[in-house]
Amino acid sequence: MSVLRPLDKQPGLNTATILLVGTEDALLQQLADSMLKEDCASELRVHLARSLPLPSSVDRPRIDLIVFVVNLHSKYSLRNVEESLHHVDATFFLGKAAFLATGAGRESHCSVHRNTIVKLAHTYRSPLFFCDLEIEGFRATMAQRLVRMLQICAGHVPGVSALNLLSLLRSSETLAPEDL
Amino acid sequence: MEMQPREQAATESPDSGGGEGRPPQVAGAQEARPEDRLTLLLRLRAQTKQQLLEYKSMLDASEEKTPEQIMQDKQIEAKIEDLENEIEEVKTAFEIKRLALHRMQLSAALKKNLEKINPQTSVLMDNMKHILKLNKLIMKSQQESWDLEEKLLDVRKKRLQLKQASESKLLEIQTEKNKQKDDLAIMENSDKIKTVQQNLQTEIQVTTVIQHVFQNLILGSKANWAEDSAFKEIVLQLEKNLTMIK
Repeated sequence: MSVLRPLDKQPGLNTATILLVGTEDALLQQLADSMLKEDCASELRVHLARSLPLPSSVDRPRIDLIVFVVNLHSKYSLRNVEESLHHVDATFFLGKAAFLATGAGRESHCSVHRNTIVKLAHTYRSPLFFCDLEIEGFRATMAQRLVRMLQICAGHVPGVSALNLLSLLRSSETLAPEDL
Repeated sequence: MEMQPREQAATESPDSGGGEGRPPQVAGAQEARPEDRLTLLLRLRAQTKQQLLEYKSMLDASEEKTPEQIMQDKQIEAKIEDLENEIEEVKTAFEIKRLALHRMQLSAALKKNLEKINPQTSVLMDNMKHILKLNKLIMKSQQESWDLEEKLLDVRKKRLQLKQASESKLLEIQTEKNKQKDDLAIMENSDKIKTVQQNLQTEIQVTTVIQHVFQNLILGSKANWAEDSAFKEIVLQLEKNLTMIK
């Protein structure tokens, strides 16, 4: 299939699947390991992909959350993510997609400006997280956050839906780009 | 150059609460397992309910007609903002209603509880009495602070009024002074005054000439003007220098 749709498959029982899209394989692998280390009542499945579209030959479960990982040190990763965004159905952006920007700590190496990714996240109305995935502590915290988000997006938390979480995550910072 | 997107998968089985895949522990497992199974089932039930709700809401949403025409970016953004605001309003209304409902339920339960137990000896009554005392205290201090604020406001108003009065008075004084100055300047620079002054000058000159003429006449006539008092007066008057009178 060329376009990912959020609800086209039946959900697995007690299973939550997250898809990490990004060009930095090592970082994604490390993040996946940290997430799997988190204890969570549901079964976690982490899929890693360089870019979309995903090959349709593989039989995969329903994807509950997509995280686009952009490395602020390389413009290529941003372009890659932008191209992958075309292969995602619009209904994913109702809370089941998020952006993660890494490498913001070392300002001198950043070739992608922070505002670019902020605007991108604002255009797609999805939450944006900044996290230096190379640092162990930050990675563990981010993994925890992602696991909680994944549980909510998979519907494992009664009373909170992905859309609800999206409007809760909308803070005053996301309104700033409108003033620019 | 197209790179074939690779995909990797990693899984982890649940560690606590779902006892199906794990070998049961020896001690006390028989009572623990039905407990675990029950919690697992309840959890799965909640999950399935939530997922069902999500699918239902997606179905309801997709029944709504979306506008097919291509709109400007700005319009789309504005529409999105409106929809988000709508969502927020509905959420707050829902929260308020839930709060009101909880309060009603709480007060109903409280009422039932009070009817059951002896009202004199209950900790609840002590709490409520304490609450009433505190409320009275709060109301009193609020009243006091309100009074003080009123006084402060009055004092400020009076100060403002005094300031305004002094301002107007000073303004009056200034305008008066300016008027006086202007009048003086006008008077000094008026043309009429100038012509009058010119006339005065010419008259003085004419009179001086006449004076001199009469003086010379009297001197030339060689009459003794010191003897007659009236004559003396006239001559002395002719001596007067009229330019000094100005």
